[in-house]
Amino acid sequence: MNTASLAGEVMVPFFGATLCIAPAITRPTVPFGVRVPAERARATIIRRERYAYYWRTAALGVGATITAVLLQGHGSWWLSRIILLLLVAADLGCYWLARNKITAVKRAEDWYAGRRQVIATDTSWRTDPPRFPVRWLIPALAVIAATVIVGVIRYPDLPARLAVGFAGSGPGSGPGNGQSHGTPKSVVSAFGIVVGQLYVTLLWTGLMVLVYRSRPDIEATDPAASTRRYRRFLAACTRAVLTLLALVNLSLLLAALRTWQVYRVSGFGSALPVLPFVVGLLIFATTAVRTGQGGFRLSGGRAGYGPPAGTDRDDDRFWIAGLIYLNRDDPAIMVGARFGVGWTFNVANPMAWLVIAGMVAVPVGLAAIFAAAGG
Amino acid sequence: MLLSIEPDDPVPIYQQIRDRIVEAIAGGRQPAGSGLPSTRQLAVDLGVNFHTVNKSYDLLRQEGLLRLSRKSGAVIQRDPGSGPPRPDWAEDWAARLRTLLAEAAAQGLPAADILRACEAAIAGFAFPRDNQREGQP
Repeated sequence: MNTASLAGEVMVPFFGATLCIAPAITRPTVPFGVRVPAERARATIIRRERYAYYWRTAALGVGATITAVLLQGHGSWWLSRIILLLLVAADLGCYWLARNKITAVKRAEDWYAGRRQVIATDTSWRTDPPRFPVRWLIPALAVIAATVIVGVIRYPDLPARLAVGFAGSGPGSGPGNGQSHGTPKSVVSAFGIVVGQLYVTLLWTGLMVLVYRSRPDIEATDPAASTRRYRRFLAACTRAVLTLLALVNLSLLLAALRTWQVYRVSGFGSALPVLPFVVGLLIFATTAVRTGQGGFRLSGGRAGYGPPAGTDRDDDRFWIAGLIYLNRDDPAIMVGARFGVGWTFNVANPMAWLVIAGMVAVPVGLAAIFAAAGG
Repeated sequence: MLLSIEPDDPVPIYQQIRDRIVEAIAGGRQPAGSGLPSTRQLAVDLGVNFHTVNKSYDLLRQEGLLRLSRKSGAVIQRDPGSGPPRPDWAEDWAARLRTLLAEAAAQGLPAADILRACEAAIAGFAFPRDNQREGQP
């Protein structure tokens, strides 16, 4: 068993559980990505489809986890990834099923007939903007600094060939993956993991800064209270992401220490680098469950001042499958995700593609450099 | 300030944004000297084209209600406590008010109901105290 396959196997139950509970942390007015008026959020069809989804995805998640555990050791490291892909595809199938049934009833009964559909905002979001919690970035940067210091100290004593796995730079790819073909010792091969840490840290910090500049998820039925909830949600989510970043960097540091032969482990000990990453994922998942999408599960304090602005506009036509946002008239680059907790890009905005291209180009470029350096 | 628009309403969106800001100024929720988001920010928050918000802000600037500068952004310039408006503006407003009241009369709304509606609207505005007394019959 190596670290990569272990990380892959951890992801199977994690994704299984995350996708299973996603409807519970999604705002009740967008069940399965379908916009519904608040008065219809408890409609029979929605409750029925939600329970059906829970049961189906729970069974799929348990089945996939058992399969991954039984097959571990019998296959290559990529086997758990295939199981994970199949699980995600099957869960999305369940999502699609529920979504189609709710959409059909919504259309047949014309849930939005005669409703005043509005878009609401609170200008205080811009005139008194929330501050990015820069201090929470310190642990992630401190771990990178520690990695560099240990690396510089160890470098002169390293052997001529190193067991390096650059694929360990990303959280999904398994920190310190044990593709232990020897790579000639060089600054590039020895410090590859530091570059990985820097990339992950800059990427996620950049994305969170972008989220701070994006629009908040405000409910037209209670704009003032939902803005306050969103502020608390964003602060909590950012702290969770920055904590996850620090723990991902710690995982990469542990993988680096092994590459630099500071410690040697085998068997279950190879799980050590994965441990901080798993803890980080659990912290993020707990935060998401506590806050809910856009903070809807948080107590909003007193109700907003003034009457409700109206019903949230039926914007289903801008969401492909309720998951991908495509609106040419909307200048937003990022918007709140429609299913589960998080954010997504407005794929109709060229700036969004520029950001995505940057996100992809950097690791591809780095991988090319490492491949060239590693011979 | 809470701002909401109805994208499917026949009233153009730029006009709706302008109207909501004027109402917020009159209601005391957006006093003189207070800031508004930049045109880009408000466009993102409402999910509308940047030029739409630009048009609203330009209208408010022409009416003397908003000051736009590179340094301080969009700042409210007048409110109910800023003193009397320009005489030419008052004449223009009276003509528009006549049309608006004529619409109610043409539809058969009794004079008493029209007056009541006017009083109800005025009750929601944040006049300074001396200004309010002047308005008393």
